[in-house]
Amino acid sequence: MRRTLYLLLGLLLIAGMVLAGCGGKSASSGTTGGNTGGKKEVTVTIGFTESQTGKYNVDSTAQTQGFKLWMEQVNNAGGIKLSDGTIVKFKAVSYDDESKADKVQQLYTRLATEDKADFLISPYSSGLTASAAVVSEQYGKIMLATGAASDSIFKKGYERVYQLYTPASRYLTGAVDMLKANAPDLKKVAFVYENSKFSTAVVTAAKEYAAKQGYDVVLFEGYDKDTTDFGAFINKIQDSGAEAVLGGGHFQDGSTFARQIFEKKLPIKFLALLVAPPNPKFAELGDAALGVVGPSQWEAAAAYTPDAAKAAGLTWFGPSSADFAKAYKDKYGEEAGYHAAGGYAAGVVLQKAIIDADSVDAAKVKAALDKMDLLTFFGHIKFNTSDAHGLQIGHEMVYIQWQKKDGKMVKEVVWPKEGATADLLFPLKH
Amino acid sequence: MKSLRQHTSLWLSLGAIILIGAWPLVTGSALSRETMFTVLRSVALASSLNILLGYTGYVSFGHVVFFGLGGYVGFYLIAAQGWNLWPAMLMGGLAAGLLAYLVGAAILRLRGAYFALATIGINEAVRAFINNFEPFGGPTGMTLNFKLYKVYGGPGAALQLSFYIMIGLTLLVVLLSYWVRVSKFGLGLLAIREDEDAAEIMGVTAPSAKTWAFVLSAIIPGMIGTVFFFKNGTIEPGLAFPLHTSIEMIVMIMLGGQGTVFGPILGAAGYEALRDYLLVSPLFKNLQLAISGILLLLIVLFIPRGLVGWLRQRYAKVRRWLI
Repeated sequence: MRRTLYLLLGLLLIAGMVLAGCGGKSASSGTTGGNTGGKKEVTVTIGFTESQTGKYNVDSTAQTQGFKLWMEQVNNAGGIKLSDGTIVKFKAVSYDDESKADKVQQLYTRLATEDKADFLISPYSSGLTASAAVVSEQYGKIMLATGAASDSIFKKGYERVYQLYTPASRYLTGAVDMLKANAPDLKKVAFVYENSKFSTAVVTAAKEYAAKQGYDVVLFEGYDKDTTDFGAFINKIQDSGAEAVLGGGHFQDGSTFARQIFEKKLPIKFLALLVAPPNPKFAELGDAALGVVGPSQWEAAAAYTPDAAKAAGLTWFGPSSADFAKAYKDKYGEEAGYHAAGGYAAGVVLQKAIIDADSVDAAKVKAALDKMDLLTFFGHIKFNTSDAHGLQIGHEMVYIQWQKKDGKMVKEVVWPKEGATADLLFPLKH
Repeated sequence: MKSLRQHTSLWLSLGAIILIGAWPLVTGSALSRETMFTVLRSVALASSLNILLGYTGYVSFGHVVFFGLGGYVGFYLIAAQGWNLWPAMLMGGLAAGLLAYLVGAAILRLRGAYFALATIGINEAVRAFINNFEPFGGPTGMTLNFKLYKVYGGPGAALQLSFYIMIGLTLLVVLLSYWVRVSKFGLGLLAIREDEDAAEIMGVTAPSAKTWAFVLSAIIPGMIGTVFFFKNGTIEPGLAFPLHTSIEMIVMIMLGGQGTVFGPILGAAGYEALRDYLLVSPLFKNLQLAISGILLLLIVLFIPRGLVGWLRQRYAKVRRWLI
């Protein structure tokens, strides 16, 4: 019996090794050319890692699905035609980074050298993107950073990393503007936030902005990432006399925080939380979700259209929000959130840069990205080209609020005013 | 000649590491350099932990704390104080050693599961401290300026340098591990592993021996932390103190054979090679975690002493030269 088991184990290992041998040979190549009917066709390889496992899995998967949808649509439409008749098509190479930094550099080196990726897309999250940026920059590859809202990566001398998201420093400042426009008399604000990289960066910037706008920041307090009982924080908010609360962190803590504020009937007039409110599942909180505001990188309802581009004097490119949202739902059977939109937008931006450069040459595409000033379904896209190269300076957050219509919870865009679908429900009714 | 034969295990271990280190230099491929960097990192971390786990019999589930703290101290000195990588790395190692010394004196009194739990607690406590420690960037961490690599001859040269340092550190760990294994100090540790009370009666000063074993197993992970995050370009609490890395270190030691010099090298290299293959293989890349889990289970079920332990048990001749 023991012998048979050893034999089985041995066979399994040998099978593994044989497969390893086969796997090694299947490395793919980068830009490949071919002639079809007198026209030259090139296939551009786009490399990235996705978090198929680990804590970023859900958001990263949505991002990848968005990107793949773009690729499929462009390839099915016959690719991009350059002025010399060359047709550019795309293919993707990706690996699982397991939501961990351990292997990100190794995998991006593989993408840049073995798979000969022409362009790279960042992993999900700022931490992993910072690790990947060292490699992409070293090999002179352009990397579109989507799903990474950190400012600091872009202040470290990188020349080829381009950010699509509104950075953390402007993530919540719009909520302050909105508050000012709707309640000029309100003065006392409290910041209660998750003690994590992303939320701390966001609220630190928002706090400075609020102080500059004349607000009295009566409380600035972080909570641990696994907090489930916010009682102590709610008491502190009450003691501080704050009229508005801004903060939060991720979905789980944000929704728990909102529910406990509602249950304890905390007398505040305005509540804006990160990440949780834009998620459709937030509505499951029922009345506790009513009136809660949240920043979002993209909302299907936000009115970014060719007409808005004309009004703002910008070039319009790509599908409308509604077209994207419909195509996404048809393909994947679920509503598109901003992570998916970010992935699709990375493709749209690259597509436009290749068209503008009229080439797939990295230097020419980089020049086109540097010059880009564009309105897309995702919003305004423009990059910093001086002190913080690649930092997103065009894109603005949209702010949603859960409101009640005919007894049903609906997500309305309340800020900025140009994209708003409803007026802000103010003050909060608990 | 006799002395050469006496140290076969050492030559075998050093030879294996030199082979791993030389492979990228022979092929000249950046990818194999990156791959071997992660392999060497695992070999060095596992061999360090083996001094405590394998020789002394104390299972530390939070050993990654030394990697993280060393990484933070070194990174801070490079990024904020403008230090060179070399002295920063030494300080990273020192900081890890100092933490081990201070903590060891307190928690090495605990045995078995209580010690293991305490080490997890230390890892979480240090992570929480760093998360609130503003000079280290708090929860946002720190990022290196890309231009800083110019001091080392550009980013390419800096990555290459990190690789050479990693080879050096791995060789150092193996020398240290071998020295501990064959020294009188190491015999004391092995005695503690078998029966701590009996060892004390036989004249081993258990508290001090255990503390020094803890310190020796912490210094090199601290230095590796500095090199790893220097190369990584960014550090934040979530990346610096991952509990799963501690667990992987234990798995590697178990695979290769705990308490041997060559075991952790074999275990770490084998584990990394397997994970790398599964991660990029077109057939398995979506199932890689499940498959590596099944393979590990089979190995642990059928060769619980690890590969080297199994060979030693099975073949009496091997026992003479392979440790």
